Amino acid sequence: MNLLRMIALVVIVLGLTVMVGAQAPGPDDNTLVVAQTVDTDGWEPSEVNSRPEANIFNHMFATLYEITVSGVLEPYLASGISYSEDGKEITFTLHEGLTCHDGEPLTAEDVAYTFNRAGDDANGFTGNTAGFVFDSAGFIRAEAVSELDVTIFVERFQSVNHGLLSEVFIHCKDSYEMMSLEEAAQNPVGSGPYAFVEWVPDSHTVMEKYDGFNLREVGFDRIVWRVVPEASTRVAELIAGNVDIISNVVPDQAAAVNGSGVAEMQAVQGTRRMYVGFNQRAQYDDTEGGRAIKDTDVRVALQYAVDVPTICATLLGTECERMKSMVNPPNDNPNLAPYPYDPVKAGELLDAAGYPADENGERFHIVFQAGSGRYLNDANVVQAISQYLTDVGVIVDLQMMDWSSEFVPALRQHNVGPLYFVGTGGGTWNAQYDMADISTPTGATNYTEWSNPEWFSLRETLADPGLTAEETQDIVNAMLEVMYNDPPWLFLYFQPDFYGVSNRVDWNARRDEKIIVYGAALAM
Amino acid sequence: MNTSSEGTPARSAILTIASDGLKEEQVSFLARARVSLLRARWPVLAIGILLLATLMALVGPQIAPKDPNRQTLILRLRPPMTREADGSIPFPLGTDALGRDVLSRLIYGARVSILVGITAVTLGGVAGSLLGLAAGYLGGRFDDFIMRLADIQLAFPFILLAIMVLVVLGQGVLNLVLVLGIGQWVTYARIARGETISQREKEYVEAARALGMSRARIMLRSILPNILAPLIVIASFNVASVILAEASLSFLGLGVPPTVPTWGGMLNESRDQLLGGKWWLAVYPGLAIMLTVLSLNILGDWLRDFLDPRLRGTV
Repeated sequence: MNLLRMIALVVIVLGLTVMVGAQAPGPDDNTLVVAQTVDTDGWEPSEVNSRPEANIFNHMFATLYEITVSGVLEPYLASGISYSEDGKEITFTLHEGLTCHDGEPLTAEDVAYTFNRAGDDANGFTGNTAGFVFDSAGFIRAEAVSELDVTIFVERFQSVNHGLLSEVFIHCKDSYEMMSLEEAAQNPVGSGPYAFVEWVPDSHTVMEKYDGFNLREVGFDRIVWRVVPEASTRVAELIAGNVDIISNVVPDQAAAVNGSGVAEMQAVQGTRRMYVGFNQRAQYDDTEGGRAIKDTDVRVALQYAVDVPTICATLLGTECERMKSMVNPPNDNPNLAPYPYDPVKAGELLDAAGYPADENGERFHIVFQAGSGRYLNDANVVQAISQYLTDVGVIVDLQMMDWSSEFVPALRQHNVGPLYFVGTGGGTWNAQYDMADISTPTGATNYTEWSNPEWFSLRETLADPGLTAEETQDIVNAMLEVMYNDPPWLFLYFQPDFYGVSNRVDWNARRDEKIIVYGAALAM
Repeated sequence: MNTSSEGTPARSAILTIASDGLKEEQVSFLARARVSLLRARWPVLAIGILLLATLMALVGPQIAPKDPNRQTLILRLRPPMTREADGSIPFPLGTDALGRDVLSRLIYGARVSILVGITAVTLGGVAGSLLGLAAGYLGGRFDDFIMRLADIQLAFPFILLAIMVLVVLGQGVLNLVLVLGIGQWVTYARIARGETISQREKEYVEAARALGMSRARIMLRSILPNILAPLIVIASFNVASVILAEASLSFLGLGVPPTVPTWGGMLNESRDQLLGGKWWLAVYPGLAIMLTVLSLNILGDWLRDFLDPRLRGTV
């Protein structure tokens, strides 16, 4: 009897082991699994809003040019580019023999359709293409001039237009014309190296190598993009061998990753500009804090209130130099110095601005809104900032919001704040790319609606195609000085990025947060 | 015609005799409770723990060594009992990821847990008991309506309902109490209804009716005291489950704002640090929740046995 019981016990234990093993086999050699913080909202290529979304789209939809790891624009769907004399007509020449994933030939007409569809107000797109790219580039229209040549018309010359227009995800006319907007948002027909297979919202997306695409070598036949919002769960999944690449690893977990023996941390100095925005919209005028931050002197004073290097060293796990402008080094103004941490000076400036502390040490109350889980250690960072502001008498009502469902929709409408925490992607290939966030006073990515006239008048002068590189940099420096003295942002830091990468994969992180895995391969 | 006999000499005499009897009964009830508690022993420990938690909740600001929200980033993630150069131990239970004192947050955290637990159960208990009492006594359409309402709510997973409501209403202690209170009324309503149905045909209720007492008075003065025992027992268990629910919702980030320390919120904040071996961030709030809930369950067990007339004399 005892023997029978023992045998039964062993069988049960073995059975459970097999079941558990069967539930978590880990990816096979042809599959790469990437875990990111947030999911895509849908599959409309003109409605991409965040870097994690763009990472997925980048593998299904190709662009005209592509920015390499080293920050150089490299031909992709296009083989070349030419400008009209005034720089307002940009003509891209496509490679021959391109097709979309449904087999439709991809020609200049399709590229023109992609641009015009994204720019059509009737479609109501507000994503990166229609919002940031078109606003910043001054897009007017696109026209196919031959089977392989497409001309994009823009309002003014900018050296950055070439790169901006290369952020547009190209798709085919016939495929998309036969779909309503709702259908298109569910059924992507791509033009890139991987084709859509399956999407389970808030869980994962599966894509497979598209054999008709020959412009890039791909290392894995299948990519699975998983959504794992919680940082420690991403690390646990990496260590368990269920995912190969994870983003936004909290630095405190570096030892756990590196000590696991199955994965390593990769740290890079990112280009994302993290800041606290001072929303200038009139809707906040009836609040104490909203009125206060209308005053330039208050915005300058608050720069001294936050100890950014300590936030970096403690919460982000790395030393960092504070941002002194919205432009990534080395393209920024070398004559500007980062605002130092000096709470006494912050207090003096607030006194001088007409906001003295009362008997409780309070100057004014203000609402501070932030999404949660999108950026590195964001929940702790915003709490630390709140503490620093409170220490100088600015009493902060911190409101944490769900990133996707609450914060982003409000941000798109410029309805967050009066203080809000956000980070916008940047680059090192052109200063004007970083400055394109503030292209017009009400531009899609000018979330503060800052409208300093000097900034916009200087920006107009950049539209001269005859400017030399030195002349351009002088104007850029002057603009950054204007912003420094009348800051629309509380400057924080360029976000360091931490990735966890499985030892079975050969892949290197980039500074611009793009997770491009065409070139990833199994480690030797 | 006024059928009430209140105020008449005979009525007063009856009430005086009844009142004396009641006092005697109360005295013997308390004496029995004390003897029973001391004999069972574990409930005494449970009461001690609950008193401590209640004390922390009531006088937290006076006894907490530090401001629970005061951050000192350079002192973050200090292990418990870390000694300073001068020999002092400023953070006996360590600090969290923002350099806040874990002990102070634990003390303040008791406020939300106990406050939410007791308030939500009181809200749900009072509403549910009264509705169940009325449904059981009145019967008919009102009974049907209340019970179908209860069935609908029971068909909905509570935690899902709580998440939906909190997402719509937003975070905050008041919203949390409302959600958790609304989630509890059904249990009380069903028990109160069942007990009321078993009581309403008894002689003392008949007598009350014959004396001309109003329906509300019969329900509240005659029936309610007789169905209170099971409701109190349920409430003691319920406070424990509500504290757990609050911890779960705070763990999901839906409880109260991050600046308000709660035990569930502390557990939530500890997640990113567990893989790094910062055990104290999860263990202390976890222990606090476990001890409080365990104590409430032990007390509930004892109360159930003590109030059960069939076990009188054995407990």
